[in-house]
Amino acid sequence: MKANRRPDLSVEIAGLKLKNPVLAASGTFGYGTEYGPLARAAEFGAVITKTVTLAPRTGNRPPRICETASGMLNSIGLANVGIEQFLSHKLPALKKTGATVIANIAGNTVEEYVMLARRVNQHPGVAALELNISCPNVKQGGIAFGTDPKAAADLTRAVRRAWPKPLIVKLSPNVSDITPIARAAELAGADALSLINTLYGMAIDIERQRPVLGNVTGGLSGPAIKPVALYHVHKAYQAVKIPLIGLGGISNGHDAVEFMLAGAAAVQIGTANFCDPSSADRTVRGLSDYCIKHGIGKVSQLTGRLKCV
Amino acid sequence: MTHSITAQVGSNREVSPQIYRMALKLPQRKITGQPGQFVHLRLLQGTTASILRRPFSIHRLTSGRLWLLYQVKGTVTRAMASLTPSDSVELMVPLGNGYRINRSRQEHLLVAGGMGLAPMLFMADHLKKVGLKHRILFGCRSSSYLLPAPTGCRVASDDGSCGVRGPVTCLLEAEFSRCNNAAVYACGPWPMLRATASLCRRYKVPCQVSLESFMACGVGACQGCAIRAADGEYLTVCNQGPVFDAELIDWTQEHTV
Repeated sequence: MKANRRPDLSVEIAGLKLKNPVLAASGTFGYGTEYGPLARAAEFGAVITKTVTLAPRTGNRPPRICETASGMLNSIGLANVGIEQFLSHKLPALKKTGATVIANIAGNTVEEYVMLARRVNQHPGVAALELNISCPNVKQGGIAFGTDPKAAADLTRAVRRAWPKPLIVKLSPNVSDITPIARAAELAGADALSLINTLYGMAIDIERQRPVLGNVTGGLSGPAIKPVALYHVHKAYQAVKIPLIGLGGISNGHDAVEFMLAGAAAVQIGTANFCDPSSADRTVRGLSDYCIKHGIGKVSQLTGRLKCV
Repeated sequence: MTHSITAQVGSNREVSPQIYRMALKLPQRKITGQPGQFVHLRLLQGTTASILRRPFSIHRLTSGRLWLLYQVKGTVTRAMASLTPSDSVELMVPLGNGYRINRSRQEHLLVAGGMGLAPMLFMADHLKKVGLKHRILFGCRSSSYLLPAPTGCRVASDDGSCGVRGPVTCLLEAEFSRCNNAAVYACGPWPMLRATASLCRRYKVPCQVSLESFMACGVGACQGCAIRAADGEYLTVCNQGPVFDAELIDWTQEHTV
């Protein structure tokens, strides 16, 4: 391969320059260092941290995960070390890897999200914030903001005032139409949208006649949800002008190209990190190969290239 | 250091009904492991329906070979059973923390329930190598679940069809009445581990247990394999375990795998 034929894989999202469009999805790459040499944080365009809350959370009652056909259910329950421990210990270790860091935050109230944004803003190490308004596994907050356009807008507007850097809002697929929420977040000042978070789901142990998950229900992820995720990206791309970051069942270059064609400016690898820690590396190479094959000089030219007629 | 490797199947034999022993050829000699550590396995010719890896204790490890002992229970283990020496699997190896040998004790009792025998041959090899006195106590449902174990292994079965009738803790209690300076290392089903932990506490014998859990990442990133600790917090089986001091675990919880 000639060097001059190698495509430019860098993308820019809301002023944030990323060396490639493949990001680690929140909750699947911990605080960025757990995989050690098996998956290096710096190989991703950016690492989105596990959701951080104000106080530490121990998480939900086990079992917390379960495999389902071409996917998995989880009900982790936002187990995390809390913002102070995150900033003092986890963030410096992740920064040391050279990775671009996007912090994912969640609160029970608008005020909690704002406090988190302010606190993160006191540290220079975080390049962007992703608001988790779509976690299906906690009683308060989370998805309550992600299924109502007004609540999503109010929250986004409030955090926008407290956070000067790129602001990403992560949307839930557990709505009949994602576009009103997408538009509400855009109007309230979001710089980009991540979609989708997990779908509500459950599994039952028929011998014990009990739910498999300790939390009864959970969130479905993995290849099983890819068509649903693509659908929502496709719909949202027609509804908003801000960049979209697509996720849901992506594990290789083929999947990533599909999302970009549907309108995503970047993608996230989630469940595939569990199946194969080298998924991101493979996805980046697959994107590059596709661009070469199709004579595309810049990966960002793929975004929204889908021809429906 | 943990490696991600592709390993070719050396052999794969049914050693007891529905229980197989698989030898994998290691491509790198530098792969090391401790008894109690595990591998996270993925089938190369995987079905698209099953996406997650499966954790297995290291059954035995020599330079160049790694053995697994597994029971056919679901789609992945069924597919594993059909692998032949031309096939390969992917492994993350080694993962987790193994058993810590308690050198202040004179005798080392390896208590295995059913498939819990898997890490104990590796442990026995290791104890033998360092010259420590040890014995395997093996409990199973019946003689059809009997697994090949080294000579000197004591056996108990629920129906008395092999060894003494009763739970493996009967054998353990007999050992305690004979020796008051033992350390216990256990692996097996949750109720058996709970009974072992309880007996050890009663006799004030240090006990380490190897736990099993549904697992996704295997490295402490997802928090999916959590189990409740005695202090009410959660522990991740993959990277804080799978071997824990029995005292750390909340044995009142129900734990299913």
